[in-house]
Amino acid sequence: MSDFKSGFFVGGEACNGRVLVVDDEPDIRKVVKMTLQKAGYDVLEAENGEKAIETINSGENRLMLDVMICDIRMPKVNGAEAIAYFRNNYPHVPLIVLTGFPDTDMATAFLRQGVVDYLVKPVEGEKLRSAVARAMEQRELARL
Amino acid sequence: MEHSDPTKVAILGAGRGGRALLDLLHQIPSIEIVGIADRDPAAPGLQRARALHIPVTTNVPDLIGNHGVQLIMDVTGNPEMETYLKTHIPPTADILSGSASRLVWKLIQHESKLEAELLQAEKLAGIGSFAAGIAHDINNPLQLILGLAENLAEERDLTVVHEQALDIVEAVKRTSAICRDLTRYSRRASPHEDVSVSINAKLDEALKIARYASSFHDIEMIKRYHPGAAVKGNPDEFLHVLVNLITNAVHAMEQDGGALTLETHALDGQVDVRISDTGCGIAADKIPAIFEPFFTTKAPGKGTGLGLYNVKTIVNRMHGVIAIETKIGKGTTFTLTFPNAEQAEEECLS
Repeated sequence: MSDFKSGFFVGGEACNGRVLVVDDEPDIRKVVKMTLQKAGYDVLEAENGEKAIETINSGENRLMLDVMICDIRMPKVNGAEAIAYFRNNYPHVPLIVLTGFPDTDMATAFLRQGVVDYLVKPVEGEKLRSAVARAMEQRELARL
Repeated sequence: MEHSDPTKVAILGAGRGGRALLDLLHQIPSIEIVGIADRDPAAPGLQRARALHIPVTTNVPDLIGNHGVQLIMDVTGNPEMETYLKTHIPPTADILSGSASRLVWKLIQHESKLEAELLQAEKLAGIGSFAAGIAHDINNPLQLILGLAENLAEERDLTVVHEQALDIVEAVKRTSAICRDLTRYSRRASPHEDVSVSINAKLDEALKIARYASSFHDIEMIKRYHPGAAVKGNPDEFLHVLVNLITNAVHAMEQDGGALTLETHALDGQVDVRISDTGCGIAADKIPAIFEPFFTTKAPGKGTGLGLYNVKTIVNRMHGVIAIETKIGKGTTFTLTFPNAEQAEEECLS
């Protein structure tokens, strides 16, 4: 089945899009996944920037990945490096930063680079889902 | 020239004052302590002297008369001793006693207070750099707690409720451990007497603290611990030494990552603590300066320049020595060598 496409049906439930969560903490990936799955998103996980880049470059993700949610402080390729890579190679994928360390300068710099949202942990489920929904609208616009 | 020959000093009285004097004078290369005397063979200064291999005696006339003593420091606080010295002083010696020796005692106490202040100031300045690490380590579990709690409000499956409630409890425990570690670290070093400290346990504790100060991502950890390695000292101060050295090692590998090796060895009554990195190394011309106060190669606002100065002060006080091996681009090893705690204890008893 060629599932996981925006608006397609996966396992009988509406799939609103595919989101990649990049965080070195398994707990964060787990809870973000849980929150977004409730809103009908298909969620992929990567434990660092390197894995995130691997993920988007593998198979259908090149085309099917809709949004990336990315931590900053991570091993190997960190969030800032991963974001730079995504901006250069997949500029149509909207990016959301989800970080444990609020830093105004960093937030401004990311927003300038075209990051859709800069969220500071802990973020409420509702806020996270609406950030993803906003990003998804951008993604739809990019498709047009 | 005068300063080529050390000044020969005899210390009379091995109570608190005598011991502090011994500790201080022992660190000064231009002073040779020819011996320390006290009527009480169990006086704390005598125990310390034995550990430092400084001659100990209960025979005052022998000590002041037969060893070419140039300065007699009387910290017995005993007026009879003062009178005795006035009549028995060898012609080549000076005496420091009575109110003069009390003044010296006050100066020593003052200096040790200043040192403690400096240590605390540096520690608190360092904690400023922990902000990112602390925020990361607190906000991550908070995210988990919030997400799970939101889910629990709607969850119908009791097994899941049970599981997630336990996850929340664990996350809260982890978060409170952060505060506990940090408050323990940031408090003023307790002034209690030296005790036997497990080096391996302190290395692990220091590692936890150092993780707040710098990112350990891309750093491979290697531990080689000699079981039961112990050293005598103040546990809070010793922890500070290790945090400093580990943080420096990690900073040296900031650019390209590398391996951090923590080792302890015990051999021939000595114990070694070795902290090695595979980082940038220290330039040969900088090495003499690194223990100087306010020397730093870090960017303004990043280092106080007091880290290694405090390390040296504390290690000296613990009767340890510091050795450095370093190569530009290859890495640095700091080796601290101390008298083994158990060994020191035995020497005291003999």
